[in-house]
Amino acid sequence: MADYTKYTNKEMQAITLAQQITNDNIAIVGTGLPLIGASVAKRLFAPKCNLIVESGLMDCSPIEVPRSVGDLRFMAHCGCQWPNIRFIGFEANEWLHDSTRLIAFIGGAQIDPYGNVNSTCIGDYHAPKTRFTGSGGANGIATFSNTIIMIQHEKRRFMQKIDYITSPGWIDGPGGREKVGLPGNRGPQAVVTDRGILKFDEKTKRMYLAGYYETSSPEDIIENTGFDLDVSRAVKLDPPSPEVIKMIREEIDPGQAFIQVPKEEPAN
Amino acid sequence: MSNKVCTLQEAIAKYVEDGDSISFGGFTTNKKPMAAVREILRQGKKDFIAWAGPAGSDWDMLIGEDRVKAYINCYTADSGVTNVSRRFRKKIEAGQLVYEDYSQDAIMLMLHAASLGLPFLPVRLMIGSGLVDEWGISKEVRKTIDKLTDDKFVYVENPFNPGEKVVALPVPQLDTAIIHVQKASPDGTCILMGDEFHDVDIVVAAKKVIVTCEELVSNEVIRRDPTLTKIPCFAVDAVCEVPYGAYPTQCYGYYDYDNAFLKAYGAASKTEEDFKAFLKEYVYDVKDQAEFLEKIGVNRLLKLKVSDGYGYATDISKEED
Repeated sequence: MADYTKYTNKEMQAITLAQQITNDNIAIVGTGLPLIGASVAKRLFAPKCNLIVESGLMDCSPIEVPRSVGDLRFMAHCGCQWPNIRFIGFEANEWLHDSTRLIAFIGGAQIDPYGNVNSTCIGDYHAPKTRFTGSGGANGIATFSNTIIMIQHEKRRFMQKIDYITSPGWIDGPGGREKVGLPGNRGPQAVVTDRGILKFDEKTKRMYLAGYYETSSPEDIIENTGFDLDVSRAVKLDPPSPEVIKMIREEIDPGQAFIQVPKEEPAN
Repeated sequence: MSNKVCTLQEAIAKYVEDGDSISFGGFTTNKKPMAAVREILRQGKKDFIAWAGPAGSDWDMLIGEDRVKAYINCYTADSGVTNVSRRFRKKIEAGQLVYEDYSQDAIMLMLHAASLGLPFLPVRLMIGSGLVDEWGISKEVRKTIDKLTDDKFVYVENPFNPGEKVVALPVPQLDTAIIHVQKASPDGTCILMGDEFHDVDIVVAAKKVIVTCEELVSNEVIRRDPTLTKIPCFAVDAVCEVPYGAYPTQCYGYYDYDNAFLKAYGAASKTEEDFKAFLKEYVYDVKDQAEFLEKIGVNRLLKLKVSDGYGYATDISKEED
């Protein structure tokens, strides 16, 4: 008999992502954890939300877990197959119409205190130590949409200064986006990691710890963050219900494409 | 109406030339013209200016074989299989690839602008990011590549909104486009099923267009429902009947990706030696697509057949109730 009272930090991360979506949202999802999170949201927290992907597939309800945003698993059972350029135009028009329905999930390798994200390279851009895919749709998403950033919580990733800005966040603080010519009324709303959730101070636009998982602590998070972090507002987050864990393992990702179910000794 | 049917070997020999500015249809692991890529590799064509779009092992193989003079990147990975395409990564880390980065939105709009014949393209993208701060290809190097503009982009003021700074992007001049479609007729009319991605854009924009198709149907039959045809006959130069021409990537209505094959490529491409061996086995030691499919085997291909009502291969024998 499977034990759904035990869960992993990755499952907690997916559920925390899911809780950022509301019924009014059109969520721009990718593959991996954001999709798992969005699937949880659609079944539990925000059944009326709509999911879209940057390849142009609108109002998706995948049955099997897609591996790519252009996967047939997204194409089948979606409301409309737009080409990618329509997605880009839609995203820009949502901003022009002053609509705040869009909420997007992006990932990255490095992040700074203002939520600027690097998914291009480690080291010098021209002679990188490690090269990644490049922007994909993330830059455009971070330009026009509010974002939830998903990243592993490690000191080497949470840096005072990142090597390259692929997806602009709040740039260098209040007024930073306007100063460089970006929409100032859009930007990162939260960072969801495998240790907790961080948000951005309304005045300073700097990241602060808003909540931590029961497997972590403010001290643990400070230790794994490469810049000064305000933890004074942090609360311990409730563990997930066994029903949600069962849903993820049996319905949403039964093939364990993105979330491995531990054979023994889960994280808690 | 002329008959444009020819073999894939003939089409690549005639319409793909060294130094071409070239773009492929499809999206990472979906509907990539993979048979055409393998034929380009076999014929030794090189020095491409690659307008890659959302790329995967299609361009990774050409990069690994040093066939690319300048690589215009926005995303290169067999999504969900590899975090990043390995030859692309290694060549950049070793300083052996001339590359430029744009955002995917920027590249897709640039290809669309090319299809519209626009002189340049103003966007609000890339602002405040490394995509404007860093130029992968310097102005000096750009000046030596006549198929690239001297500037990656130029800031301009929106003439209709004084004071608003926007990014003016160059519009690529494509020599060649290659796409894979579900159905085409001898005159070049095409039916595209599933998301069209940027396929129609590059077909309109390119001087030379090669279409590979799952099925060749008559000029009369393909016109029965014009809501399905996305490309008119005169936009196409060569039509090649190449079943499983997108394999190992997906083809809507026909087959799923072969994840095991993509994984095997992902593993092999980690080292130069294994990459070369993989290409020898699946590209150079294979005469053509027919021989390639023989090698892959009928049972492997049958497993990829899409399930009716799903659009991808799934095991419905396990369904409950």
